[in-house]
Amino acid sequence: MAPVDLSYTAEEEQFREELRTWLAANIPDEWTQPGFWRALDDDESFRLRRDWEASKTAAGFSGIEWPTEYGGRGGTPGMKALYDEEMVRARAPQTVNVLGLTFLAPTIMAIGTPDQKAEIIGPMLRNEVIWCQGFSEPGAGSDLAAVATRGVRDGDDYVVNGQKIWTTNAMHGDKIFTIVRTEPGSERHKGLSMMLIDMDQPGVEARPLKQMSGASEFGEVFFTDARVPAKDCLGEIGAGWRTAMLLLSFERGASGVGQYTEFRRQYDEIVAEARRFGRSDDPVARQKLANCLVELECLRYHAMHILTQVEQGRDLGSESSMTKLQWSETFQDLWEAFDDVLGPEASLARPRPDVDLTPFQHQAMWSRSVTIWGGSSQVQRNIVAERVLGLPR
Amino acid sequence: MFFALTDDQQAFATTVREFLADRFDLDAVRGVVEDPHGDGHPVSLWKGLADQGALAVLVPEEHDGLGLGLLDAQVVARELGRGVAPGPWTATVLAAEALRLAGSPEQQAAWLPGLAAGETIGTVALRGEAGSWDGRGITVDASGQNDGVSRLSGTASPVDYPSVAGLIVVAATDPSGTPGLFLVESGASGLAIRDQETYDGTARVGAVELADTPAEPLGGGTLSGAAAVAALMARGAVLTAADLVGVAREALTRTVDYDRERKQFGVPVGSFQAIKHTMADLHVAVTMAEHAVLFAAHAVDTEDPGVDVAVAVAKAKAADAAWAATGAMIQFFGGIGFTWEHEAHFFYKRARRRAPLFGSADEHRARLAALTMD
Repeated sequence: MAPVDLSYTAEEEQFREELRTWLAANIPDEWTQPGFWRALDDDESFRLRRDWEASKTAAGFSGIEWPTEYGGRGGTPGMKALYDEEMVRARAPQTVNVLGLTFLAPTIMAIGTPDQKAEIIGPMLRNEVIWCQGFSEPGAGSDLAAVATRGVRDGDDYVVNGQKIWTTNAMHGDKIFTIVRTEPGSERHKGLSMMLIDMDQPGVEARPLKQMSGASEFGEVFFTDARVPAKDCLGEIGAGWRTAMLLLSFERGASGVGQYTEFRRQYDEIVAEARRFGRSDDPVARQKLANCLVELECLRYHAMHILTQVEQGRDLGSESSMTKLQWSETFQDLWEAFDDVLGPEASLARPRPDVDLTPFQHQAMWSRSVTIWGGSSQVQRNIVAERVLGLPR
Repeated sequence: MFFALTDDQQAFATTVREFLADRFDLDAVRGVVEDPHGDGHPVSLWKGLADQGALAVLVPEEHDGLGLGLLDAQVVARELGRGVAPGPWTATVLAAEALRLAGSPEQQAAWLPGLAAGETIGTVALRGEAGSWDGRGITVDASGQNDGVSRLSGTASPVDYPSVAGLIVVAATDPSGTPGLFLVESGASGLAIRDQETYDGTARVGAVELADTPAEPLGGGTLSGAAAVAALMARGAVLTAADLVGVAREALTRTVDYDRERKQFGVPVGSFQAIKHTMADLHVAVTMAEHAVLFAAHAVDTEDPGVDVAVAVAKAKAADAAWAATGAMIQFFGGIGFTWEHEAHFFYKRARRRAPLFGSADEHRARLAALTMD
């Protein structure tokens, strides 16, 4: 066995070159300017990204690590890491079908019926169908097993009533994979089913949720006698918890390579602002920023570690909780440092006529959400303590 | 992409760990801690390490070494930290590194085989009181050469195990202001070793006082001058970081094991979230520090363009993780962890003493700021 080797294979580097060339030729310059996306109307932004991503798929640059039988590229975990990195480098638009691609597709590949495999994955990859995730509810946040949305059998269908919240792309979604309590009177992890529900029907209403940042990345979805055919259950009826856990296990840490690339660029941008406002010589500010860099570099090493584990075919298990803690806490600290280091100027949209800090402020506000969604830091610490360290429940 | 220890490296780690568990456990460590005026250099431990090749790791094969890299050496350092093992391992390995990097073929042939076999103990004296670790903290002056011999004057402190060292590598500044490395042999005229008491009983330290002491300049190797001093500092930082990571991991493991069993209020204290969440954060921090040390060792071995950042990150992260994990060890063992009879203080004191060596976390963060902000 060779010692530490951080290189990618020739084939992977070849892929990187092809992707880089395609991205350079297919991303309009104005799209990469700060504030471009936020200045757009939400629908317009979504439409642009949806169409762009479909063209990327047509060029063969989506589903990088998926088998070719599902329209993927059949690439290696290393190619997926390079893909994540190059997308950030090129300032490519953010993926619109992120929840479907990350979670639903691999779950369908693992346990879907032949019809589900044939009918769902291709249209998702081409952005013909945008998928939302219906997990959290007002009464079921960190405690997912408290799900109260009900599904009652009626002929070949289930009739669904209830409410989901924190739904990404709620206003643009076509379908939603939803945890529904299909066994009346069941409690906790039992009696749940993962239903694939059409959002384009009278019984489904989506509303935007205005966040503290002023943006609306999330929404709410209300089900009022919505109908879903029983065959549109992923996994078995009543086995929804198992399906949900399998689905969440696909939150692989390999994207840490892309996250590092993005956050490291943000670090450099914050440093540039610190310099502009005469704060970069302050020893306390320097310590604070340098400590963010320490944690960012650790995130990068951790991503290499995870990629190695994936390439060796190892099960990451609860290690993804460590990945989540490291990236989310580091990202939040970085943006706290922005406020700390810039002082009063940090809160001004235009501290100088030619300086627009609103993109920075948006990130700083967004950073408050990342330690909550996808399993809060407190939940992640419980997982690390109990499942990795073996401390008693 | 392969970012992990190889099977061979893991086997090496296991060998050292099992040797310490069998032959130099915490009772043996206590024997050294409770004999502060002893030389802190148990011969059986030293011979055992030499037999395993732990001293020969970085020495080239032509000088009876194993010719491996810092990646392999950090494996040993980590295990010694884990076992809070006493002795001049780091000091000797760094003295050999100075010879390998900056010495002439003759100097290497004269010293490296003995250092690799454990027959000669070495140490390094690279800075003086209140001095920084970036080469500007050198407090020893070297005269011009006369027949290949310089004269050194000044005091370097603290130095690991100077009393038992047969060879001391001293960083000194020549009359033109250029730093360089010099060989001083024990018993040289004008050399005085002043033992210094330290609360870390797992080591012995002292001041190296030089008064017109004859010394042989290291020269004719790959590196010289400030570059040689900097390269040695970087290796010292990585090996110290590795030791600290070992200390931190063992402190955390012992604390978790204890808090799984220790009951208060009728339940194991490890079931309380106040403790769980601290342990989880520590586990993440120590794991990140392990990654950082692995990366830094690799970066030094391969002369990676990002090596300066990598070394600073590793040392800063390891120092912080070790302070946090050993402090938590005392806290979460409760009152027993504050007693002399408990071993928590071995870990805590070793972490505290070693954290500032080759640059504290703050100094390395300042270095990172200089590398990325100026």
